[in-house]
Amino acid sequence: MNYPFWDIPFIGGGMLIGFVAIIHTFVAQFAIGGGLFLVLTERKAYRENNPKIIDYLKIHSKFFILLTLVFGALTGVAIWFTIGLVTPMATSSLIHIFVWGWAIEWVFFFIEIAAAMIYYYTWDKLDRKTHIAIGWIYFIAAWMSLFVINGILTFMLTPGDWLQTKSFWDGFFNPTMLPSLVIRTAVTIALAGLYALLTSSFMKDDELRTTMIKYSSKWILVPFFVLPFGGLWYVLSIPTLSFDIIAGGAPAITIFVALGVFFSVIIFIFAYFLPYRVPHRFSAALAFMFLMLGLFVMGVSEMVREAIRKPYIIYDYMYSNNVFKTEADKFKTAGILPSSKWTHVKSADDANIMKAGEQVFKLQCQSCHTVQGYNGIKILTKGWQEPFIENQIEHLNQLKGFMPPFMGSESEKKALAKWLYELNKTEQIIRNQ
Amino acid sequence: MIDQTMIPDIDPIALPAPIWLLKFLLLLTFTLHILAMNVAVGGGFVAAFTEYFGRKKKSQNHFELSRGIAKMLPPFTAFTITLGVAPLLFLQVLYGQFFYTSTILMAWPWLSVIVIFILAYYGYYIFSFRWEKLNGKRFWAVLISATMLATIGLIYVNNIVLMLTPDKWKAMYFANPHGTHMNFDDATLIPRYLHYIISALAVAGVVVIMWGMRKLKSDEQLGKWAIRYGAWWFLIPTFINIGVGVWWLIALPREFMLMFMGGNQLATGYFLVGLASIFVCIMLMFVGMNASKPIGKIMAAKLFFLITIVTMILMRHELREAYLKPYINWDAVQTEPQWGVIIIFALLLVGGLITVIWMLKKSFGKPAIN
Ligand code: HEM
Repeated sequence: MNYPFWDIPFIGGGMLIGFVAIIHTFVAQFAIGGGLFLVLTERKAYRENNPKIIDYLKIHSKFFILLTLVFGALTGVAIWFTIGLVTPMATSSLIHIFVWGWAIEWVFFFIEIAAAMIYYYTWDKLDRKTHIAIGWIYFIAAWMSLFVINGILTFMLTPGDWLQTKSFWDGFFNPTMLPSLVIRTAVTIALAGLYALLTSSFMKDDELRTTMIKYSSKWILVPFFVLPFGGLWYVLSIPTLSFDIIAGGAPAITIFVALGVFFSVIIFIFAYFLPYRVPHRFSAALAFMFLMLGLFVMGVSEMVREAIRKPYIIYDYMYSNNVFKTEADKFKTAGILPSSKWTHVKSADDANIMKAGEQVFKLQCQSCHTVQGYNGIKILTKGWQEPFIENQIEHLNQLKGFMPPFMGSESEKKALAKWLYELNKTEQIIRNQ
Repeated sequence: MIDQTMIPDIDPIALPAPIWLLKFLLLLTFTLHILAMNVAVGGGFVAAFTEYFGRKKKSQNHFELSRGIAKMLPPFTAFTITLGVAPLLFLQVLYGQFFYTSTILMAWPWLSVIVIFILAYYGYYIFSFRWEKLNGKRFWAVLISATMLATIGLIYVNNIVLMLTPDKWKAMYFANPHGTHMNFDDATLIPRYLHYIISALAVAGVVVIMWGMRKLKSDEQLGKWAIRYGAWWFLIPTFINIGVGVWWLIALPREFMLMFMGGNQLATGYFLVGLASIFVCIMLMFVGMNASKPIGKIMAAKLFFLITIVTMILMRHELREAYLKPYINWDAVQTEPQWGVIIIFALLLVGGLITVIWMLKKSFGKPAIN
């Protein structure tokens, strides 16, 4: 109500954030596990005295920096840009609470970027020990940046004691921080394997290719022994309402969870039977398919992670539509229109009822719904009569646990109901003519 | 009376640090960002023109330099982002209510920054990794990338100026809430932008000089040539920029212009120091570029150039404070410093710098035998 609402037709802001976040995470997590892969594999090459593996690593590390330093880093900035645009209130909160967390994250990011470049550029320049040391510096800095960002991201779902104490540390070391760190770390390692599978399968030398494919597949398999425990621990730590959403409260989300688990198992089984058991028969096309499966699992998990936080954007502190929980009552009595800066409709009455209804929709609902596109309200309310809509709005948060309560005056509620009703009605009339 | 109703309320969470510290870090990291950006963008343009002259004059010196710059562009582009993220953080925490709003008004151009940046960055990598193979196409490869990066600067200037003028927002948003605005009707925008981009060329000129100084030992002829060539890249843009700076000053709202002419002692002081040091810098550069032992004079010139850049950034900061004065009362802004975390940050920063310096020393020190 404080910031102007950026109106993105059809896709909506949530979808935009989701899109950017998924592609970023998919590369950024590789940037972490991939660092460990580089150093451990380099060590292996020296131990086994196998210069071919070093040749492979030179190519793989080029792929690695081109993907992570450019695409990974920039899509990370893109997340910042997008959340600031779509949910400025929440972004501002996160920045105010955790400025120093972000600043620390930036220090690690800086070390990470410098180390990655130096690692890549010094294959033939540095002695082995120093080169490996730089690889370790890279990996530790990268993992530390995950450590920091993970604390801030999990805070949004489980702010824990921060709600009372407002202390940085309570917010950072929140109830889902550790389980989530375990999951994410395991995922970064599996991703390192998925990407390495791809670059390995392009190697011309048969022996090298087979060795590297088999070796990479182990990177995929091992984390899967950790993931189920991490997942269970995480699910046990989330709020009850979030658990309900997964457990059937929102069927689409339950399906997403099921799909995520199912395809993870598929990746595990196929990784065992194909690259691990018969590495010589593995191909680049298959590796690419593995990667796409990984992207898919990542996508659905991110969507679930976003969904279980509803109706909040910061749990028990700020609703998904950027309203502070403590402000809800104020809006109910004073009305949302007069309390909002960025609308020229300042009250709802008979004369401007349609305009007012549209504005109320924009202010309260459009952070999750579009009119006609993704999660489109028009389809969702199709066939509903006006009194029914009004009743639904009145009990929004009870009917659907993942929606915030309606925060507005009586007349605003009526206006919203009318506007929603007319959305489908006009079309009905046009069609009948 | 200015209509203030459209400025979002300040975030209810107190600032977790003293305001001076946040402003200091903003200015410090922004200075580093601008320097890296100057090499990445200015360097790209200098490389493009050097390619062009090299081909026309069939000059090996030009190609050597082009190859040298090609190696620098990807790392400096990486530093531009890395060092850009930090001021982005401090800008949001200090001026969020202004910055988010103007960003929302120009959301799509703002987001396009990412796409343009990725493309330009890959372009630089191609220029760098395939320098030999590209041959005749080098000029275009680097020119297109540099132009794209320069466009990003233009989008930034649009936003950073729009955030200073809240009285325009209302009309813009009600005319179109889809985030497709730009801010070109601001009279200060073009001179402001040109001032930055032209100074990027001058900084790149200094980088060429430094490259030449490093070459002196191995190839004196090339080194001497590069020092002179770089000096011209410094001098010509700097002369032009004095004019553009005056243009910017005149384009400012009158009260802000007067601020630098005695109206505000601090702002005027920065301005005088900046003018004096660029004057000394130009003199030293003229002497240094023709001297038989150039290094001392050039190093002194560099120092004065840095002083000028810092004073310009401080002036820019005073200007922003003046623009925003009616809309924010710093004395009323709450702060609750989280000293514990601040100290951890400071220690990690120092540790991080030591680590990076150690890595650089190892890799650029004497070549090791594997
Ligand atoms: C090569 C591409 C870039 C160029 C040419 C560029 C150029 C500029 C310029 C000219 C300004 C000054 C704007 C003004 O005062 O009107 C600026 C400010 C800024 N840039 Fe960059 N920039 C680039 C990339 C980035 C990136 C990728 C980031 C963030 C990750 C970034 C972060 C910032 C921030 C936060 C400011 C504002 C600082 C302040 O106002 O205190 N820049 N940039």
